[in-house]
Amino acid sequence: MGLLSQLKQQFQTLSIVGMAKNAGKTTALNYLIEEAEDEGLRLGITSTGRDGELIDLVTGTDKPKIFIEMDTLVSIPVKLYELADAGLEILRMTEYATPLGQILLCRAAESGYVQIAGPLNVRDHKKLCQEMISLGADMVLIDGAVDRKSVAAPGISDGVIIATGAVISRSLKKVVEETLHVVNLYSLPVISDPEAKKIILENQGRDQIMLIDKAYKVQFLDLKTGLNASRFLDEVIDETASFVYIPGALTQSVVADIHPFKFKSIQFIVKDPTKIFIETNPWQQLVKRGFQVRVLDAIIVAAITVNPYAPSGYSFEHEALLSAMRSAIQEIPVIDVKFGGDFDAACQYKNKK
Amino acid sequence: MRLASTKTKNEIGFDFVTQNISIKTPYGKKHLKEMAAFSPGEEEKLSYELEKLSMLLSILNESPQKMDVLEEILMEIKEVSFTVNRSINNVLSVVELFELKNFLLQLDRINGLIQEFSSAMPKELIPVETLSLLDSLDPRKDRINAFYIYDDFSEILGSLRKKKHNLEIEIRQEKKQIRQEIENEFCISMTPKFELLISKSNSELLAKAKNIERLAIDCEDYMTVTYGIKSTDVLDVLTKRTEEVNYHIEEEELKVRAKLSKKVAQHQRDLVKNCLIIGELDFVLAKARYAKFYNCCRPEITNAHVLEITEGRQLMAEKILSDKGKAFCPVSIKLTDGVTCITGANMGGKTISLKMVGLVSLLAQYGFFVPCREAKVGLSSSVHILIGDTQSMQRGLSSFGSEMEALKDILDQSHEKALILIDEIASGTNPVEGLALTKSVISYLSAKQYITLVTTHFDNAAMGKSVQNLQVKGLSSANMAKLGKELLHASRRERIDIISKYMDYRLYAVGGGQEIPKDALNIAKMLGIYDEIIDEAKNLLIGGNEG
Repeated sequence: MGLLSQLKQQFQTLSIVGMAKNAGKTTALNYLIEEAEDEGLRLGITSTGRDGELIDLVTGTDKPKIFIEMDTLVSIPVKLYELADAGLEILRMTEYATPLGQILLCRAAESGYVQIAGPLNVRDHKKLCQEMISLGADMVLIDGAVDRKSVAAPGISDGVIIATGAVISRSLKKVVEETLHVVNLYSLPVISDPEAKKIILENQGRDQIMLIDKAYKVQFLDLKTGLNASRFLDEVIDETASFVYIPGALTQSVVADIHPFKFKSIQFIVKDPTKIFIETNPWQQLVKRGFQVRVLDAIIVAAITVNPYAPSGYSFEHEALLSAMRSAIQEIPVIDVKFGGDFDAACQYKNKK
Repeated sequence: MRLASTKTKNEIGFDFVTQNISIKTPYGKKHLKEMAAFSPGEEEKLSYELEKLSMLLSILNESPQKMDVLEEILMEIKEVSFTVNRSINNVLSVVELFELKNFLLQLDRINGLIQEFSSAMPKELIPVETLSLLDSLDPRKDRINAFYIYDDFSEILGSLRKKKHNLEIEIRQEKKQIRQEIENEFCISMTPKFELLISKSNSELLAKAKNIERLAIDCEDYMTVTYGIKSTDVLDVLTKRTEEVNYHIEEEELKVRAKLSKKVAQHQRDLVKNCLIIGELDFVLAKARYAKFYNCCRPEITNAHVLEITEGRQLMAEKILSDKGKAFCPVSIKLTDGVTCITGANMGGKTISLKMVGLVSLLAQYGFFVPCREAKVGLSSSVHILIGDTQSMQRGLSSFGSEMEALKDILDQSHEKALILIDEIASGTNPVEGLALTKSVISYLSAKQYITLVTTHFDNAAMGKSVQNLQVKGLSSANMAKLGKELLHASRRERIDIISKYMDYRLYAVGGGQEIPKDALNIAKMLGIYDEIIDEAKNLLIGGNEG
């Protein structure tokens, strides 16, 4: 069974998230489109940024176009409609506006190349995906904009496919490490204490740091975000504190001045993993000291794709990257999109382990 | 000449109505923006406008669900008049044709719905039939709002597209054949995309590939060389033929678009007319909804210059009250040419009654139903309100100065059949001159063919035959003992509410020369002004009367 058929049983909408620009996101998308064709799946494809241009507008690298098969549903702004090579039947003109005109919902009447773009905000995106499903798409793929991981945020899609590759670093070890870090963050556990979760969800709208103690007494701190509030936080966290909810971004500076001794007794809570902005190394050091983070919504990583080529010229032996990644991340399928699928191999590898 | 100034419309609460009616389409918005009032002499036209509104209102009452459907269709309607006009000299794009088809489908659905209505629809509000154009854009008559240059639009498009498709398959098969041969001959395996990817470290395979004549390097990077199948004569011919077919397809699609655009251009007049009809339908329907929601009645339009309002309401004040859970006390009034003075207690709603009169008259003249139980309206040539505003203070004028400026403008602009509403004139200057000025203005206006309504605190401001005096009932019939008890324990905010609860806002006619009930001190006292001040004021009044 192919990757998509497997994923379809678990996910109705999938975001494709690039670890960086040129990590091979579009290649991954094309690969999945081909697979869908082989398996007779009807796809809906949308994007959070303009995608499918021939030449990447930022780095000037070759970008593969998106070739869609007949009956695929796509979202495309009015100004890009005329540029499409595929024959597109317009099904609906949506109210979502972009700088390239309103978004049209189209069905491919004839296969061909297109440039895809979608609505700019999360809520509209979700509505569009639902619409595609109601129009008969078996699955919707969302192509994330230029190395923005925000499309990974739960609520946009059921799961994510992480596109990673040589572009991250010249060191293969580093590529694997960085990818693993993202996978680790995304798989952070959801807060398990139901009482604390209830309190946080109820007061989330206040946009304030919340300190919850063992008796579930809440203290709201007068700091909008945790940025540079570290010393203040250190002062208020005492032995009775058990949860700290950070409404915005969780960065290193938020925790820098908190005495490591306190890490073991408290859990930091964030909305979802995309709110965490801590690099691999400091993260590992923090975790070693007992730093615990829980999320309100988790992100499910459906698959990882690797691209052994970096636009600046260097590349890895594709087998080397693939196997290094596979041995580091065993519970998630890893595929090399450039050298073609062999999902079965990915599964076999998984089975062997 | 326009009926009322922007400031007048705003002060009277007319803007409140136009901002709150629910217009659904861009055409309706345009209609609202260009809406003009009916002037004296256009009574019949206005009556017909109101008749249309009545007809829609009865459909709204009889088939509310069908009206909901109609409104849903209206909500989806987009502006196409630019596209329609563009069709005359241009070839429309696929997106434009899609929008037009959508518009035609919406018109078709609206016409279908209208047939289902049990009561008649005003004929001016029924879109012109454009079925033949819809058929041109929807040759299969699917009536689905999707659009594409379908094969059905042309005799040859389908066969061209088929040809292209077959050529693509032929190319693929030819390449498959070549790949098979290469793979068998050299024991290598190529990707489904007919590529051979070789890592540069694999010098053996690289050397091998170099010697395969039928392969050529497609691209190369630091680590990998990608070989593709070299074109053959057969492939060249096929590719060339595909390009030709592609060119023909594009030509044919353009021809189809040109043909369809021409069809659209032929219907340009009907389509533009329909845009206007949809705009009016939307607008009248919005007025009907508003009339139903605000419980408005159809005003009787007369040729005589009169305003007879039975239980009229000022909608903005009513809204504010209803938000607080309170009801508006309707006010009845009959006005004819000449001056009418409203006197009475403070907090007696004199200003609101003044604005209510203006609102009823403006709404009626713009073809709306009016917030009354009954109303008889004679058309005015212009409507003015003179009311203190805060903007003039920002301009650095004293309240008296700006009032006099505004009064001059009003006097200059008024002609026969004007409606003039004046709130507390000359209250910002000394009472001796103020009273004199009020009297002289009233006497000037009472000689004119205007309906003038004045609120004032001055006793005996309005004398003479053509002057009607009205008084607010106020607290005169209220149970003062009970009121006092309630006020005893009330908080500051509650006091105002309690007083307004006991206040009777209705108007009644009084003979000239009657003294105005003096409620100011009572109310000041109720609102908590110290007894020593109130008592001193009372003493002064007695002293004044004695002296």
